[in-house]
Amino acid sequence: MTICQFFLQGRCRFGDRCWNEHPRGGGGRPHSGPVRGAGGGWGAASQRYANVIQPPIFKHSTWGGSGDGGGFSGASDFGSPGNKSAVFSQNRFSALSSAHPADGFSDEEQRLLDCVAKDMATWESSGQWMFSCYSPEAGKPNVSGFREFSAEEVRLEYYNCSANNNTENYINSVNQLVQEWRNRLQELKALNASGKESLLSQLKNAVTQPLPSLGFGGQQASSFGFPSFPVSSSSSAASFSFKANPSVPPGNAAAVGSSAAASNPPTFGVTSSPSVPNPVGSGNSSAPSAASFSFKTSGTTSGCGTSGLSGFGSSAAANSSSTAPLPVSATPSAATGTSQSGASSASAAQTAGASGHNVTSAPSAVPNGIASDKLYTPRSELTAEELEQFEAKRFTLGKIPLKPPPIDLLYL
Amino acid sequence: MSSQTVAPRAGPVTGLYPALPAEERSGSRGMALPRLPAVLASSSAGPTRMSLFGSTSGFGTGGTSMFGSTTADNHNPMKDIEVTSPPDDSISCLAFSPPTLPGNFLIAGSWANDVRCWEVQDNGQTIPKAQQMHTGPVLDGCWSDDGSKVFTASCDKTAKMWDLNSNQAIQIAQHDAPVKTIHWIKAPNYSCVMTGSWDKTLKFWDTRSPTPMMTLQLPERCYCADVVHPMAAVATAERGLIVYQLENQPSEFRRIESPLKHQHRCVAIFKDKVNKPTGFALGSIEGRVAIHYINPPNPAKDNFTFKCHRSNGTNTSAPQDIYAVNGIAFHPVHGTLATVGSDGRFSFWDKDARTKLKTSEQLDQPISACCFNHNGNIFAYASSYDWSKGHEFYNPQKKNYIFLRNAAEELKPRNKK
Repeated sequence: MTICQFFLQGRCRFGDRCWNEHPRGGGGRPHSGPVRGAGGGWGAASQRYANVIQPPIFKHSTWGGSGDGGGFSGASDFGSPGNKSAVFSQNRFSALSSAHPADGFSDEEQRLLDCVAKDMATWESSGQWMFSCYSPEAGKPNVSGFREFSAEEVRLEYYNCSANNNTENYINSVNQLVQEWRNRLQELKALNASGKESLLSQLKNAVTQPLPSLGFGGQQASSFGFPSFPVSSSSSAASFSFKANPSVPPGNAAAVGSSAAASNPPTFGVTSSPSVPNPVGSGNSSAPSAASFSFKTSGTTSGCGTSGLSGFGSSAAANSSSTAPLPVSATPSAATGTSQSGASSASAAQTAGASGHNVTSAPSAVPNGIASDKLYTPRSELTAEELEQFEAKRFTLGKIPLKPPPIDLLYL
Repeated sequence: MSSQTVAPRAGPVTGLYPALPAEERSGSRGMALPRLPAVLASSSAGPTRMSLFGSTSGFGTGGTSMFGSTTADNHNPMKDIEVTSPPDDSISCLAFSPPTLPGNFLIAGSWANDVRCWEVQDNGQTIPKAQQMHTGPVLDGCWSDDGSKVFTASCDKTAKMWDLNSNQAIQIAQHDAPVKTIHWIKAPNYSCVMTGSWDKTLKFWDTRSPTPMMTLQLPERCYCADVVHPMAAVATAERGLIVYQLENQPSEFRRIESPLKHQHRCVAIFKDKVNKPTGFALGSIEGRVAIHYINPPNPAKDNFTFKCHRSNGTNTSAPQDIYAVNGIAFHPVHGTLATVGSDGRFSFWDKDARTKLKTSEQLDQPISACCFNHNGNIFAYASSYDWSKGHEFYNPQKKNYIFLRNAAEELKPRNKK
């Protein structure tokens, strides 16, 4: 039998009435399935996915999941009978879903996942710059877990470090970042089911949210494994398990958790004075500890767990609100610090006015549970559930504590 | 020295003589070129160069197989003019003087904390004129519209205004983090300096006042920007992309979803046939450039991306090496563009015909910056390490170069239909 060309494109109108052959496994084509919506009442499928967070678009996936959606889309005779034929179809074609594992991703989702896997493979082999954000498609938000630094920023850190004779520090931090990158890349190359789902929900959720004026920054904060946003992919939580890096002074490590809080604008206007327990990485200029990189103000918000590790200016300004006149690099720029404070508080006020609402979004997103700028929470202040989360190997989505961990649970 | 018969200003800078000491190893070869008459439109120079598509501008062979050379020195495979007294560390930015200044002056900022200025003469000679220092590496520089001032942005979180006549530089801007981009804005009703910094702000400065005229928040650290009045495009970390309109006062015009998948590295605005800015080209670290129109009739068809600065060409079996696009510059007359990358090559492209015009030979160092002069006759590019492979590949002893190339012919657009 001849192979049906329309089926290969995913738009055969005859479905299984078609006189041509519909090869199995050929149903992975992207197509706009007009009949997709009818899958809602699919008992069997919904049972399967009951305990997984799925975005509303889930309906698509049930259709696609049964293998060749090609037989469904555009085939009006499948749409009208509703449930009955749906179930019927699923049974018929479930055996054909060799191309699609039973987790039932729609074609588009599968395409995204494939794209991610392929891009990861290319990224690894091409020798391109590692410290870059990534998104599988134009218009999609960034995938979490990748810290972004430009070559100039890295180079500046090197220059600053060598001025202080601190190059080993730089080397260690860079190696560490490379390691993190590698881990995340391997993870994405070979996603397991839960990883896939969290990735997909990340990509979808963030897209559908309306962008506040600080569109990008705000979005990123929400999708980056940040404790205050349970949406964070479990995978990122897993790999950045709040392990503090031995090479980094503990001060920075826990900065992660509390950094969400810290981003409260008021602390910003406060100058770079080291005395402020500014979780934003480097209590600045306090020489050696700060020396381990204030890889720039908040650098990337993604660094949730990792920022603590390398002290790279920890993800501080999390919700990337405000100007963040955060104390900069390690070099004894304390002198400039004070003069900046004047300017920065002025500009902070100014920008606070200008971008009023993202500033408010930050604190509002961060419930009162967060204490001031404490780096660690004493055990006494944690609820049993939070404690349990900290002690577990991995965070459970939706239960990630908002307070920083107690110091004794950190591996230093 | 050739007898210049051409009218000085207007002529292309053909027949550029490398007025260099014998260190230019390819001395003999270099000398051969200038014998070409330095004539307008370089009718003879043109074809010679064009026919050497893909090969050196010498006589067809690769840069390494030089006669008589002892080492395979590939620092100038294109046999372009070397600028004298280049900076001692990597060059971060290049800018030519505006048309209001007679002659061509080139400034270059470097990681050696200095910004240098040369006069580029029509015969190709470059004369170092002056230099200014910052207390940190210089990341960007630009000229004022009248050519009397040079603005420089540095990692020391300040920007300075350098008055060339008096050779004095004063600080005009302050940020909380290194200043990555600096541009001069000349609007009908105001002029100011725009600085973009890693402190996630875009500030506008009247050079006479220590406080900014305006501060705009960016979603993330500013990585690159370009200004062509009345449009400004700023690309930030985390694939942020914002376009501003500058009439009356700068304001955000639109946030654009990035057409690229990876980190943004450079951006350049292009103009349409009536000289209005109409879109921009955005380069990323992943060997790709996106051409994006602001208000295209058909966005899906008009906007596109193309791959560049990759090894292996069209061979898809072996994994490619992918290099970052370090700079993009548009030819002021032809509208074609040049890209320079970490692979040590530069390429010329015609975005309307969607074709590549030329790719250079590979230099032994990445090309970190590029620019055209005001009439498009000179293409300058800097060969220096851009940190794309980390500190291990950094050799402070390695010499950095700035090359000048005659760009009048090579960037002519392909004729469509």
